Amino acid sequence: MLHYGSKMALNKITVDIPENEVTALIGPSGCGKSTYLRTLNRMNDLIPGVQISGVVKIDGLNIYNRDIDVVNLRKKVGMVFQKSNPFPKSVFENVAYGPRINGINDKKKLQEIVESSLIKSAIWDEVKDRLHDSAMGLSGGQQQRLCIARALAVNPEIVLMDEPASALDPISTSKIEELIFELKKSYTIVIVTHNMQQAARVSDYTAFFYLGELVEFGRTKVIFTAPTKKQTEDYITGRFG
Amino acid sequence: MERHFETELEKLHHRLMKMAGIVVNQIIGSLKALQECDVEAARGIIEQDRKVDKLDNKIDKLCQRIFALTQPVATDLRFIMSALKINNDLERMGDHAVGIALKIETLAENRELVSSVDLNDIVLQIGKLMEKMVTILAERSTTHIFDIFDLASEIHDRIEVHSKEIIDEMTRKSEIIVVATNLMLVLTQIDRIVAYTKNIAESMVFVVEGNLVKHAKPVRLNPEITSEPEKDNR
Repeated sequence: MLHYGSKMALNKITVDIPENEVTALIGPSGCGKSTYLRTLNRMNDLIPGVQISGVVKIDGLNIYNRDIDVVNLRKKVGMVFQKSNPFPKSVFENVAYGPRINGINDKKKLQEIVESSLIKSAIWDEVKDRLHDSAMGLSGGQQQRLCIARALAVNPEIVLMDEPASALDPISTSKIEELIFELKKSYTIVIVTHNMQQAARVSDYTAFFYLGELVEFGRTKVIFTAPTKKQTEDYITGRFG
Repeated sequence: MERHFETELEKLHHRLMKMAGIVVNQIIGSLKALQECDVEAARGIIEQDRKVDKLDNKIDKLCQRIFALTQPVATDLRFIMSALKINNDLERMGDHAVGIALKIETLAENRELVSSVDLNDIVLQIGKLMEKMVTILAERSTTHIFDIFDLASEIHDRIEVHSKEIIDEMTRKSEIIVVATNLMLVLTQIDRIVAYTKNIAESMVFVVEGNLVKHAKPVRLNPEITSEPEKDNR
């Protein structure tokens, strides 16, 4: 359960998120899907007045245990936001930032990490000749993929994405979607999206949230062809929300 | 909430009903014309085929447009997918009615043989079958599904019986072979119409319940299959 002050934002959510698959969280605005996403790397801890109860287990370990190192947790559970937020530094430094604060200073090692992260994020070919130019000069779609590279550079197991393509044009969106498809081979991905068709295209599992509760969770192909709950059916067919 | 493509879905339903109406008229009309060896009525049925073909194309195009512009999911997706199939099934049923009508001229040459085969029971049952098919299409329900499968099975059995009678008759009188063969072909066309009606009933199960029951034999003999069907789309 999660409260913002006296307002309950999440109520008794129980779900097993499968490894190396893409899980999409869908639901109308204010239904708790982003809040739920942020419980998975304890980003809500930073919000004043938040009260959280319950258990979130990653690899069998409750991440809300007192002895959990939140910095390590967020290394393991990376996050990409709606608005791309590169640091006002070079492309290289953006990706090298995480490994560097984790104590990697060897130049060759850093170069390897930066290159492989940029390759995995499908942006290497576009930036390999301008690694030392400012990241702020990249297009919106490139900046978003750079942010994904930055998240991958610290070698996470899980990548959380909060509306990663909602501010992008259709071509950049399709690149991000292709990338998600590739990334799931190595990472578990949880994505919040308002775009129903995007959820249907990229995810293996879909969770439908409504008024802070999980209404239905299941394989995306079932949710989008024959959902079992009427509320899910009404939402995905645009009858409410 | 009123959705912008609700009118398109209603239009699709309306066109399917119109198509079903014309095809049912063709089927009932062709059987009546057959019983009465009414060549004039048969021509009218053949002419209606143009209307059916035109409507067939219109329904296909409308489905294509809804798919392309609205990316339907869940119940909408199932309805539009099924509308395409039902449209196809209805068009084929119309073709079989025309097939029956086309043979009436030849059959009229031997009215005694035609009237010696009592088609009344089949015509009556086909009437009931068509009525139930139109009802499930109009109501988008599965209420008459078992009635449809039962009727289909009874008609099929009657056709078998009549076919045997005609073969016996042919072995006795070789001069009726041409007419009798045509009558056998008409019975085959009726059998096909019945089979397409079953397809439409199965499509309606998919629309309403989201379960694929086609090929789930024997649906008619085991009611549990339709009340708790296999979830083979999962």
